[in-house]
Parts: sequence; C-alpha cells; structure tokens
Amino acid sequence: MRDQPAAPLVSVSGLQKSYGALKVLKGIDLTMKPGERLVVIGPSGGGKSTLLRVMMGLETINGGSVTLAGKPYIRAGATPARTVIDIAVRRSIGMVFQHYTLFPHLNVMQNLILAPCKVRGENKVKASERAAALLTRFGLGEKLTAYPSQLSGGQKQRVAIARALMLDPRLMLFDEVTSALDPELVGEVEQVILQLAKQDMPMMIVTHDMWFAKNIASRVLFCAGGVIVEDGPPEQVLGSPKEERTRDFIDRVFHIRQ
Amino acid sequence: MDSLDFTAVLRFRDALLQGLLTTLELTLICIVLGCAIGFAVGLARTSTNLPLRNLSSVYVEFFRGTPVLIQLFWIFFCLPLLLGIELSNFASGVIALTLYMGAITSETFRASLKSIGREQFDACVALGLPRWAQITSVVLPQALLRAIPTLLSNCVSLFKESALVSAVGMADLMFIGSNISNNTARPVEVLTVVALIYFVIAFPLTRAVTVIERRILQKLAV
Ligand SMILES: Nc1ncnc2c1ncn2[C@@H]1O[C@H](COP(=O)(O)OP(=O)(O)OP(=O)(O)O)[C@@H](O)[C@H]1O
Ligand SMILES: [Mg+2]
Repeated sequence: MRDQPAAPLVSVSGLQKSYGALKVLKGIDLTMKPGERLVVIGPSGGGKSTLLRVMMGLETINGGSVTLAGKPYIRAGATPARTVIDIAVRRSIGMVFQHYTLFPHLNVMQNLILAPCKVRGENKVKASERAAALLTRFGLGEKLTAYPSQLSGGQKQRVAIARALMLDPRLMLFDEVTSALDPELVGEVEQVILQLAKQDMPMMIVTHDMWFAKNIASRVLFCAGGVIVEDGPPEQVLGSPKEERTRDFIDRVFHIRQ
Repeated sequence: MDSLDFTAVLRFRDALLQGLLTTLELTLICIVLGCAIGFAVGLARTSTNLPLRNLSSVYVEFFRGTPVLIQLFWIFFCLPLLLGIELSNFASGVIALTLYMGAITSETFRASLKSIGREQFDACVALGLPRWAQITSVVLPQALLRAIPTLLSNCVSLFKESALVSAVGMADLMFIGSNISNNTARPVEVLTVVALIYFVIAFPLTRAVTVIERRILQKLAV
C-alpha cells in the first residue's frame, strides 16, 4: 500500500543543520524515487557527509524534516536537542562509513548477526545462514571466522556493506566508502555496490571517484556551501553542467585524475 | 661481615610460605573487589550526572594523591573509632587496599571507555542497536579488552604495595620476613630471599603485560 510507485521514497524538506555558529546545511530540499541511485559530489566541507549523517539519524537538526516512504522520521524541534527521530523508521536505513566501523572484538560472522539477533530477535542459526550466503556472494566465504584486524581494507568495507544489508534496508547510504582504501582495493568494493545497484537497491552515495559516479548514478547532485547547486542526470551534471560552480569543480577533479 | 648463610632462611621456609599465602589471598581479594569498584567508579566519572562525577573524582584523587601507608593507618586506627567496631588486621588491610585498588583501576577503566571511538557509536546507531545491546555487546567488551594490560600492571603494583600491611601487624610475607630477619640476625639473607619471592611472582606478570598488550592491540586495531 505504502509502496505506490509514484510516491517518493525519501523527501527532505527545508533541512538546516548548524554546528554552533557554522551553518553546514542551509535548507536542503530533495526527493528521491524508489530505485533511484543518487550520487552526491562536491568540494570538501560542502556538507555531503552531514547530509547523509542527518538522514541516518546520527545528528540533531535546526530546521526541516526527512520523510521515508511517507513517514516523517526526522523532524526539527524547538531546539536542536529536541529533534524528533523515529527509531523504528530509522532502522530501515543502512549506512556504510569511510572509516571501517566493524566491531573489532567480534569476528566477521558475529559482526553480521549482532544486529539481526538483538534488534529483531532473529534466530542465531537462521541469521548465520543468511550471513554466510551474503558473505559468499561478496567473495568473503573464506573469512567467516576472521577478525576485522585480519582483513584488508577492501574486505573490511565489503563486510561492513554486508552487515548493513543483513537488516534488509530500504535505503543504503554510502559515505566515501573507498576513500580510505589503497587504490588497488577500490574496485572490489565498487563492484559490490554495483551488484546492489543491479538489484535496484535505492542508494545515496558520496564519492570523489568520477568513474564510479558515472557508472552507478541514476542522478547526480552537486552539493557545495550547504546547498544543492545542481541536480540532474549524470550526463548533464558530470558531462555538461549548467552551473558555473559545478563546471569549475568537474574541471578541477577531472584535471587531477589525468 | 661474616659470609652469607642461607640455612636460617631454609629453617623458616614453612613460615615464609604461610606469609606468601596470606599475601596472595589478600591481593586476590582486593583485586576482585577493587576492580568491581573501579569499573563502577570509572563509569561514574564518565557519567553526565555532575554530583556523581564530582563525588567519584574526590574519591579517586584522594586515594591516588596520598601515600598508601597513611591510608592504611587511617583505616586501621581511625575507622574503628568512627564506626565504633573493632576491625581485624586482615579486614583493615582488605578495606584499605581495596579502596586503593578501586581508585587506580577506575582510571584504567575510564581511559579504556574513552578510547572507544565515536565511529563505534555511529555504527551502533546505523545498525539500530538498542541502548542495552550497545553497552553489553559493544562498549563493555571493548572497554574490558582494552583495560586488561593496564589492569594487570595495577594488579602487580597492588601485590607489591600489599607489603605495607606488615606495618599494621598483619602476618604477610613481608611481616614474617622481617620477623625472621630480626630473630636470626641474618637480615641480608632473609630480605634477599623475600625480595626474590616477590620478584619471581611479579616479573612474569609484568612481562605478560607486554605480550598481552601487543596481542590485544593487534586484535583491536581496525
Ligand atoms: N562534528 C562536527 N563539529 C563541528 N563541525 C563539523 C562537524 N562535522 C562537520 N563539521 C563541519 O561541517 C562542514 C561540513 O562538513 P562535512 O563533513 O559534511 O563536509 P563534506 O562535504 O562531507 O566534506 P568532505 O568531502 O571533506 O568529506 C565542515 O566545515 C566541517 O568542518
Ligand atoms: Mg565527508
């Protein structure tokens, strides 16, 4: 019922976020349809991570709201501390961070089944079976009992993605998940995300990798100075941007990559 | 000075063994009780409740900032006056060293709690873990793991500091050692042997700290 095709999956309206006197998000409006893959690009400090962190419910906000499948799950209150966050709705969003956030004292399998068992009371055996299947699909079938410290950066990020998927999220957020990796490990992580894209997983991706952006995006946002400067299909925003600021940024990034 | 003669020490080996057992018993009791207090106080010191935080700070700073010997005398002589009850030597020793151990291990636990990065909490939220699961499955195990090497050093210090209880007449290894040394007029031999006994127990533990620390850090490095 709530999944009528026309209804937006996410809508962000009038979102404002400050750290003290510093305004980081200055009124963001954004809607995302089911199955869309938004890539967010933009200069450092532009507020990309903050936008994702707010959507994940990790930050208080100063104004506006965020809605998932018709349910406003983040709403500004009278003060930032009074931000209302609906925890049940927030659980249907998954996030992967730039710095590996695996639990170091748990092995790969335990990392994956912790949340399903604790959050949904899922049976351990069932959860382990799902975890093993997922890990095998991501080329980690040999690593079930390894500890995070025994994995390469690329393997850690693939485990982190699998861990988030264990909760069957309706939206995945990726914040520069390959930025901390050695160049030769970037590909294996991007492949896993491309796999998810093939299955129409809705996602929002912050990346500085223009090749990846081109290949995965169904839509690209250029975010700078706390606002969305340009929003359109990848061919437009990456290929022939309308806005001067976008053009400067794209020129600079592609220049560096040559 | 005449030549060294260790036969006197040998004659008293049973007494020395008895003293060692008392020392070990006292140390173990104070380690268990002290760590429990230390963890609670470590949590209290990171709490958002200001009176609780202040109270726990006063306790910790007092016991860290005064000589253990004075704490011991204070509990031995003043506590019975305040409470109006007689305390055995052993009981005063246990109370004094437990409070001391509680104070130093609370610092250990506080540091280990603080060393858990913000990303770990972000990950908990992103996974929707309920608060209690965050504490029991993520925070507590990591805090304990990180604390283990320093806790071991704390235990070794306590083991050595426990020799002070001989000053209030408790028959521990130190007390028996100095009695034997007085009675046999062989202080060099007796005290050397007593020092060696302390060393033989403390040294492997201090070495173990280095190894265990390396293992744990390797495991927790992400
Ligand atoms: N916890 C915080 N406290 C104070 N200021 C913060 C905090 N987090 C971010 N900021 C500031 O908010 C601004 C936006 O940061 P954000 O991390 O969202 O940028 P970004 O677009 O992700 O940049 P990058 O490409 O470098 O990751 C920056 O000026 C940053 O210094
Ligand atoms: Mg960022």
